[in-house]
Amino acid sequence: MSIVTVQLGQCGNQIGFEVFDALFNDSHCPGGLCSKRENEAYQASCKERFFSEEENGVPVARAVLVDMERKVISQTLSKAARSGRWKYGQHSCFCQKQGSGNNWAYGYSVHGPRHKESIMNLIQKEVEKCDSLSGFFIIMSMAGGTGSGLGAFVTQNLQDQYSSALKMNHIIWPYGTGEVIVQNYNSILTLSHLYRSSDALLVHENDAVHKICAKLMNIKQISFCDINQVLAHQLGSVFQPTYSREGSFHYRRNPLGDLMENLVPHPEFKMLGVRNIPQMSENSLAYSTFTWAGLLKHLRQMLISNAKMEEGIDWQVRPPLSGLPPLGKMSVNKETHFNTSIANLVILRGKDVHSADVGAFKDPALYTSWLEPVHAFNVWKTQRAFRKYEKSAALVSNSQSLVKPLDMIVGKAWNMFASRAYLHQYTKFGIEEEDFLDSFTLLEQVIASYCNL
Amino acid sequence: MGRRRRRQPDPADAARALPEAIAALSRTLPAAPSPEIFRRAKFDRPEAAPALWRLLFHVLSPLSADSASVSFTLEAQVRWVKSVLHSQGYPRLALVQLQDDGSQGGRELLLALAWLLARGPLPERLLTQSHVRLGDEMPVCECEALASPGPPAPRVEAEGSVDIRHLQWLMGKLQLRWRNLMAGQQEQCALLGKIHSYTRGCHSDRSLGHLSVTETELLRDPEGGRQLLQRLETENARLEAALEWRHRELVFWRWMDTVLDTCPLEASPPTFLPRIPEPGAGAAGLPVRELQALQEELQALQEELRKAVEARRAAWQAAVGGHGPEWRAARRALQVAVAQDLAALQWAWEQGKGQARPHGPRRLVRTEARVPGRLGLWATEATEALRAREACLEAMLHQLQGQCRQELARLVGVRPGLIWVPPPAR
Repeated sequence: MSIVTVQLGQCGNQIGFEVFDALFNDSHCPGGLCSKRENEAYQASCKERFFSEEENGVPVARAVLVDMERKVISQTLSKAARSGRWKYGQHSCFCQKQGSGNNWAYGYSVHGPRHKESIMNLIQKEVEKCDSLSGFFIIMSMAGGTGSGLGAFVTQNLQDQYSSALKMNHIIWPYGTGEVIVQNYNSILTLSHLYRSSDALLVHENDAVHKICAKLMNIKQISFCDINQVLAHQLGSVFQPTYSREGSFHYRRNPLGDLMENLVPHPEFKMLGVRNIPQMSENSLAYSTFTWAGLLKHLRQMLISNAKMEEGIDWQVRPPLSGLPPLGKMSVNKETHFNTSIANLVILRGKDVHSADVGAFKDPALYTSWLEPVHAFNVWKTQRAFRKYEKSAALVSNSQSLVKPLDMIVGKAWNMFASRAYLHQYTKFGIEEEDFLDSFTLLEQVIASYCNL
Repeated sequence: MGRRRRRQPDPADAARALPEAIAALSRTLPAAPSPEIFRRAKFDRPEAAPALWRLLFHVLSPLSADSASVSFTLEAQVRWVKSVLHSQGYPRLALVQLQDDGSQGGRELLLALAWLLARGPLPERLLTQSHVRLGDEMPVCECEALASPGPPAPRVEAEGSVDIRHLQWLMGKLQLRWRNLMAGQQEQCALLGKIHSYTRGCHSDRSLGHLSVTETELLRDPEGGRQLLQRLETENARLEAALEWRHRELVFWRWMDTVLDTCPLEASPPTFLPRIPEPGAGAAGLPVRELQALQEELQALQEELRKAVEARRAAWQAAVGGHGPEWRAARRALQVAVAQDLAALQWAWEQGKGQARPHGPRRLVRTEARVPGRLGLWATEATEALRAREACLEAMLHQLQGQCRQELARLVGVRPGLIWVPPPAR
């Protein structure tokens, strides 16, 4: 089944390019530590999901590019075409001449309705090219102007028009010390709208990925390109093909559906985070070897101590003793708190994957009391190695790890709201105080639900 | 020219006839034990019972449970067989009273099997269920799915209170699974369409014109072809056994009479409502308890209805009052209107009855022919019938939702101290 990607705004388009590039390069990686036949099956599966075929044989990404200005989209299109190996569809983009000045309300109330028909038509054309649609993957930033407001509008329309298709929004969480002064307003409006119309919110925090670039990849001058490449690597390790069942060698047909079924069936808990191990510069890769036991041990500790990378993990954090509740209810002020999960999905790729022991993730102490590990934990595997990593593991989890950042944003937005700062920019375009209050209510409810696990 | 003297029946023939009949039966039923087990069952030998419980389980369970049946313990199979037989109206109480460990009761099980065989063409029905299908088939009605008893459900221990979040999780998961299933079915349809159009002209049967998935796989993979051949041969053997069984079954029924004779008489004959034994009599006590509760509820409802009707009638008569000519005319007009409505309903129902609703699984054939084959059915007709059914079900759903809303509104009134928070409007 196929996934249609919608790339929104500067952020969405730049990341989208890196994602397709990573997926394509991985699927055409020579070797992959498996037989030729297996490699071909892997390639075919990846291709069916993310690319369609054009007459001259060059794969075309199943994507729709949307931005309110031309510059980024042209850059993206030419970068893809230059590689010669894959490209975007010529007629798959929509752009305008003017930007939206980081104004969420303008994106949502003006750009959205004005350009709704053109954008939805593009998406419809892309959907018709698929034999069957697994769902939509929408890449956008949370705090900018175009990506966030328009993204919320587009997602709502996808909900109305394709009510039976699944939707996953990939959201970029802004830097804590970001430059846009109204980024917190934009963030809460985006999140609350998406919570109502999307099925899953997969979050990447700029701060966390920045640290990965600095500490693990040893990049001195970190550009957005570096950040996006790390992001793409993490997403690729989640969405590339895996076996459909223990003991099967057929690739899973509906990864989006299976992922959602395992992680986000509950309507109040939709926030997902991704962790990947190992993550390093390709130069260092040649000199490193790993064992599954070591990788999984680190990954588990990253989960429970809420670390985003394998360096600087706090090994002191331990799961609570079984039978006892975690020390008091979670307080957002506590520094090292045990990160309770609702559900986890571990994805293993590479050599000897069937010997990897994931028992430590089935510990009931990791999970909330109302869901047992048999329901809460799943593992996907494939022998085929991901890019040049002989062994790699990814973890998609629905846990408390985003509560603190969310609470911080809500707090800052509330402080601004309380003094009515900058509100006229929103009320001017139809976003009233009521809408802000609704957003605060919804997000407070989400925070409370996660805290009470 | 004398009359031909009647040959004396050869006693050896008679002795052979019964085992051969039972052997034929055993060859045609799925998972049937040897004729020797049947003989031992008549004398209630313990080794016969487990084999016959398993046979009944396979005979009663839908096809899908076949592969899963290995994971069910004998005890689980016994309980399930009891509940299915009970729901089908099996009259003998002795079966229900047999122990759950499946160690006894060979004779009762023989009687149960005979009862099932006598009710309808059991071997033929089972053969139809497990028939090897070469074409890509799709059911055009839900009758099969609705009629068969579900496979045994895993036992879930309810330990007191359940966290509502867990329930919400499970419900959400169910909804997502339905959506994934629909997406999977759409994908299957798209791919079937592709295969059918790519293999156009490849089939030796002109009326079909193209290959099905099974047939395509046959050509691609010889090993698959061998397995298919084996399955066909097995089915053939069972068909032959079924024919032989029909030929010889009289002997079997005479023998079953002798089995029945050896059984002790039932304590009391079954009445209109099956007499419900004490609650708690083994695991079958649970559905039986429910039946008793249902019976009481039904009686209470009837009483309530009678009282309500009387009260209504009395109130109406009081409201209507006098017997003037106006009133009589109004009443006559009302009677005419009601008669018209009834006639219209009757007519509509009879119209609907006339149309044959399509049934059963059908092979999918992609064709440009103008007329469907003799037994063919256009997809458009089938979809029309299904749409009508869908409209019916939607109407029912709306009605039930309305009832739920009314019930909720009533509950809101009952507890004034409670604050109701409705879900956020879209």
